[in-house]
Formats: sequence, structure tokens, C-alpha cells
Amino acid sequence: MTLDWSSVWDNRDRLLAGAGMTVVLTAATMALALPGGLLLAFLRLSPYRAVRGAATSFVEFFRATPLILQIYWVFYVMPAAFDVRLSEFATALLGLSLNVSAFNSETFRAGILSIRAGQWNAGLALGMTKLQVMREIVLPQAVMRVLPALASTWVSLFKDTSLVSIIAVADLSYVALKIRSETYRILEVLTAMAVLYCVMGYPQAKLADWVHRKLKVAE
Amino acid sequence: MDIDLSPFVENWQFLLRAIGVTLWLSAFSILLGCAIGIVCGTLRTYGGRLLDTIIGLYVDITRSIPVLAILVWTYFAFPLLIEHSLDPVVAAILALGIHLGAYVTEAIRAGLTSIRPGQMRAALALGMSPFQAIRTIILPQALIRMLPALGSLIVIAVKDSAIASVIAVPELLRQSQVLAGKTFRPFEIYTAAMLVYFLVCYPAARGIDRIYRRLVPLGAS
Repeated sequence: MTLDWSSVWDNRDRLLAGAGMTVVLTAATMALALPGGLLLAFLRLSPYRAVRGAATSFVEFFRATPLILQIYWVFYVMPAAFDVRLSEFATALLGLSLNVSAFNSETFRAGILSIRAGQWNAGLALGMTKLQVMREIVLPQAVMRVLPALASTWVSLFKDTSLVSIIAVADLSYVALKIRSETYRILEVLTAMAVLYCVMGYPQAKLADWVHRKLKVAE
Repeated sequence: MDIDLSPFVENWQFLLRAIGVTLWLSAFSILLGCAIGIVCGTLRTYGGRLLDTIIGLYVDITRSIPVLAILVWTYFAFPLLIEHSLDPVVAAILALGIHLGAYVTEAIRAGLTSIRPGQMRAALALGMSPFQAIRTIILPQALIRMLPALGSLIVIAVKDSAIASVIAVPELLRQSQVLAGKTFRPFEIYTAAMLVYFLVCYPAARGIDRIYRRLVPLGAS
């Protein structure tokens, strides 16, 4: 068989734009999912049972169903059921953020619970309010502890953004699959797509491993 | 809005078959992933420098490429290399299994290295071959310690099987799309599909947690 890489080279601008979209989508999702996850974590630690229950169900549901189905659901059901019309990009961002918020909330919750109760008591004994203790004592320590887990979530998210190609968001997979159907150079285009993902994903995965080693908790 | 459940009444066999495909597609990809993981994980831990590097490369590359990219590559591009067409189901099992295998490899390696080296030395001193020592002493303890990690990998495998819909494997998500297109009831059908995945994944995750808590003492040393 003969390989013809010109179809990849001629479309390099489109592929790079797609890769750019993948990065933008990853960053935007994380920017939404960090506050989202923190909020959900607080709700899960709420003293009110109903609030706790609702937040827990939300998190467990999003963690136990496929992301690809969640994206479909947001894409097809939201306009039909609630008459909300969003652009493809906004739909993708919403679907990804809901999913990643659920995962982040578990991470934050574990981080907050890992801070010993004595620190809470000490803060309260010093006359701080609950909010102050959370903001000034517990959260700063918890954030350092959960950074490795957040780094892993980032790496997964970077790969999972490929799923938005099913609703025609022009990310790297969508662009590559489109070029494939235009040029019929299937092997070359799909290999280029895998290599591009690998080139971008590999350093991130290594960085996440480094964060894991660097911030390992030793009590 | 009104909810119409007639698509389920009329197509329950169609959907039941799709659920079946999802379940055995997940099962086969888990089997393949575990087979790859046990072999590669053991070889990476005890096989010396060269094997460690080669398997490390497989793990790192697989972990930095989205499963969707692996899937479409296996189905569309790989047949051109071998000049032989692949059935979508076979391609899906291969791609999902190879993807999962990288994660299982790492879980197995973490489990094996967590067993103190003294146990290996004791087994060798008793006259066991390295293979016997790994099989009868180290691996059983390591497997118990790895249960939580393997449990979440199983849930991931079931969820990732939905991505096989992209290459038209007739599993639950794919058949839901077909049905949603035919009946124009996407809300009911996609919501039901969500519930089915939840009812498979959530009890599986909780069940493995429970088994693990029972077995914890057996993995302690």
C-alpha cells in the first residue's frame, strides 16, 4: 500500500485549529467545573439532609453514566423538553462541565474531609466563624492535597473532549474525521489525529505524574 | 411537556437486545483488558529494564490518546494496514480492551510493588520458581489490594462501551439513537438509556466496594 501524507499536510491549518479548539474546550470546562465542583462539595457537606441527598444523587448519577450519553442528552433533550436553545459549543461546554463538576466535587469533598477535625475546633475556639475557618484554614490545605487528583481529572478531560465531535463541535476529532471523509486518506488522517493527541496529551500526563510525586501527602 | 412511553412498549425486545450487546461488549473488553493488564503488569514489574521501557511506552501512549481516537483508528485505519476488513464488534472489543489494558497494567504494577519484597525472597528461598512465587504468593494478595482500582475500571469499561456507538456497534446508545430517530421521542429514550447505564454501573461500583471490605484482611500482610 502507498501512503500519501499530503492530505494531512495540506489540511494542517484546520487540524491545528481543531487542536486549538480541544485545548480551549478543556480549559473552559475546567474553569467552570472547579467552582462547580467546590459548590457541589459544599452542598454534599451541608447540615440539611435534603440538600445533601440532592447533591449526592446528582454526583452519583453523573459519575455512573457515560459522558457521551450525557452530551447527547443535553444536545437533544434540552431543546425539546425545556425549550432552551444553545449553540453546539455551549452545549458541549455545559455537558462536559456538569460531568467534570461531579468528579471534582468528590475530589474536593475528600480533600476537605482529610483535614483533621482538630483544626476546625481550633479555628472555632479562636473565635473564627465557620466560613472563616473554611476559607482560611481548611480550604488552602485541602486544595494542595487534591491538586494531584485534579491534575488527573484534567488529563482525562483533555481526552474526553473528543466526544463533543458527535455534536459537530469543530475539535480535533471532528476536524480529522471530516478531512478523512473528504480526502479518503483514512489511514494517514486518523494516524495524524492520534499522533496529535499523543503529542499534546503525553506531556500533560507526565506533568500530572510529576504533581502526584511532588505533592504526595505524608502524615 | 407530555411523556410518551409507547416507544418502549413497542420496542422493548429491540432495547433488551441492545442492553445485552452493551453488557457482553463490556464483558469482553474487560476480559481482554485484564488479560493484557496481568501479563504486561507482571512483565513490567519483574521482566527487567527492556520490557519495562517497552510496556511503559504502550501504557503512556495509550493513556494520552482518547479512546474515541483509538476506536476509530482500529475500525477505519487498521483494516487498511492488514488489508482485511474488521467487524465493528471485533474492532470495538480490540480498541476498548487495548485502552483498558494500559490502565489495568498500571493497577497491577501498583498492587505487585505494594507487596513487600521479603515475601518474594521467602518464596524463592523455599525453592519456588519466580513464576510459582508470583502466581501463588504475590498475585493473590496484590489482586485483593487492587480491587478498588479494578472496580472503578470496570465501571469505566461499561461507560466507554457507549463510545462504540460511533462505529455502529448495535449497543444501547446506538440503538437508542436509532429509536429516537424513528419515534421522535429523544427525551424518553435517552433518559431511559441513562437510567439503564446507571442501574448497571452504580450497583457494580458499590458491590465491588462491599466485596473489597470483606476481603481486606486477606490482602493485608
